[in-house]
Amino acid sequence: MSFTQNKETKEAEEALVREFQAGNLDAYDKIAEIYQKKIYALSFNLTRNTMDAQDVTQEVLITLFKKVHTFKGKSAFSSWVYRITLNATYMKLRSKKKEPNVSLEDLLPSYNGFGYQQEKIQDWSENTESLLFANETREVIQKAVDQLPEKEKVVFILRDVEGLSTEKVSDILELTIPAVKSRLHRARLFLRKKLSPYFEEYHSRSEKQ
Amino acid sequence: MICCKECLDLLSDYLDGDLDPQTSADLDEHFQDCPPCIAFLNTFKTSTNLCREALRQVDVPEIVQIKMKEFIDQQKQEKG
Repeated sequence: MSFTQNKETKEAEEALVREFQAGNLDAYDKIAEIYQKKIYALSFNLTRNTMDAQDVTQEVLITLFKKVHTFKGKSAFSSWVYRITLNATYMKLRSKKKEPNVSLEDLLPSYNGFGYQQEKIQDWSENTESLLFANETREVIQKAVDQLPEKEKVVFILRDVEGLSTEKVSDILELTIPAVKSRLHRARLFLRKKLSPYFEEYHSRSEKQ
Repeated sequence: MICCKECLDLLSDYLDGDLDPQTSADLDEHFQDCPPCIAFLNTFKTSTNLCREALRQVDVPEIVQIKMKEFIDQQKQEKG
C-alpha cells in the first residue's frame, strides 16, 4: 500500500485507529500489518542494517501499541507513524560511529559567469534497464545514497523511494514545501553526479559489445 | 532565453510537473538549443529512477515477520 492515500483508505484507516484506541486488538493487528513493511523499509534504507531495522520495527510497533491513546489526530496517523519511526531510527544511528558525509556543494553543477554549464556532460541514460539486475549496481547506489547528508537523505527516501507526496513529507518532517523541494532537488543532483562515473563506464562498456 | 543554471535549478519541479506552463515552455525552449542540458536532464531522470528502483526492493526478512507476529500475539494475550 502506498502512503499517497486516497480518501477512502484514509477514512478506513482512521476508523481502524479509533477502534484500536477503544481497545479492539484485531484493529491493532491490521494496523501492524499495514505498517510493518513500511517501517522496516524506511528504517533499513536509513541504517542499512538488518538488525537495526528489525529492532526499530519492533520498537515502533510497541510504541504504537502503548501510545496510541496519545494520538490526537492533528495530523494523519501515517505521519505520526513515520515520525516515530524516524525518531527510533535516529536514536539507533546516534549510537554508531558515523562515516563523514561527502560535501554536497562540491557535487552541484558548475557554471560560468553567464550561468552556462561548464562541465562536459556525457549522456549515459540509454539502455540502463539491465543495470538493476546487477548486485554491483545496487551496492553502488546504496553507497551513494548513504553518503548523502542526513537532511537530504531522509527527504529523498520519503519522497522518491517511499513515493510520498511533497505535502506529506512536509507534514512528517515539519518543513515548508519549498524546503522539502529544495532538499529533494539537491539530493537528486548529488546522486546524479556521484553515480555518473559508474554509469558512464557501464554505458561505454555496453556500447563496445 | 533562460540560462543553464536557471534551467537546472528548476529541473525537479519540471519533472514533477510543478511548474507553470510558461516556465515549463521556457525550459523546453532551452533544451532545444542546449545539448549539454538535454544530457543533464536525461541522466538526472535516469539516475533518480535507478536509485528509486534499487532502494524500493526492500523485503522484510521472514524472521522479522515471525518475531512481529509473536510479539503482537503476546501483547494481545496480555491485554486480552
